Amino acid sequence: MSIRHGLSRTAIAHAQREVQKLVDELIGVTVAVVSTADGFDVASAGTGDADPVRVAAMASSIVAIGGVVSQEGGLGRHKSVMILTESGFAIFCSVHRRDVELVINVLARDSAVPALVAYRATQLGRTLAEA
Amino acid sequence: MKEHKILVTGTVGAGKTTAIGCVSEIEPVVTDVYNSDTSIDKARTTVGLDFGQLTLDNGDRVRLFGTPGQARFDFLWKILARNALGLIVLMDNSRPNPLSDLSVYLDGFAEALRTLPCVVGVGRMEAHPVPSLDDYAECLAATGRVFPILGVDVRKRADVVLLIDTLLMQLEADLRGETE
Repeated sequence: MSIRHGLSRTAIAHAQREVQKLVDELIGVTVAVVSTADGFDVASAGTGDADPVRVAAMASSIVAIGGVVSQEGGLGRHKSVMILTESGFAIFCSVHRRDVELVINVLARDSAVPALVAYRATQLGRTLAEA
Repeated sequence: MKEHKILVTGTVGAGKTTAIGCVSEIEPVVTDVYNSDTSIDKARTTVGLDFGQLTLDNGDRVRLFGTPGQARFDFLWKILARNALGLIVLMDNSRPNPLSDLSVYLDGFAEALRTLPCVVGVGRMEAHPVPSLDDYAECLAATGRVFPILGVDVRKRADVVLLIDTLLMQLEADLRGETE
């Protein structure tokens, strides 16, 4: 199986560098993955057991379902989904590029600050949209 | 009026989204995105779920849920199978090894198939007659299962309705068997 996502090597390198920074710099983040809209991981970094391949597939489903909910409610193009859990949270941000749709997935324990993680994920989305 | 939840699964490109869209009375919910897997010859692919609704002649309502076909979405298979009354497995006979494809879904839904009725719909048989429906039956029999297997064109409403009717007849027969 080969994947044709249309991202340049520069964009992939940028994504890899940025997800690593996100994991290194933010307390509590266990995994960060950039994936295609159909669930293939493009870049990932992590400290936990979560498998980036599975996270990427799950994120594409979550974001796609978020998209149709947004469409149903006439709420415009979807931006992000946040799942709060007993001991942490997950954030899934859509990246709308001209060539390919991407998803940023960040899983974090409750020691992480949701607003900070959301801010950094959104920032990464902005830079990826232009990379 | 009864409500039925039926799950439609099967290989990528077998026509799960098409089948649901073909019979749904409401605008179907579709979660297709651009496909970046070059081994699959289609522009878009389902990554979440499909949803459609159909009212049968007797007034019963069928809610159809479609799964993504790729095994990497198997976590959704289990979620979507919850509370389903039956399973429709769609196969694409033009793929390199359809019988092996069937095994993926028999394994993936093994737990659900212990209790749920199932019908297998095989598409593109006119251009690709092998494996035959008998070959599918033998493949199922080898796993100790007996399910109805129908050649279908999921672009035709009548074919999709036939799959649903067959599944519901099986369900009814199972219920009668339990009460007798």
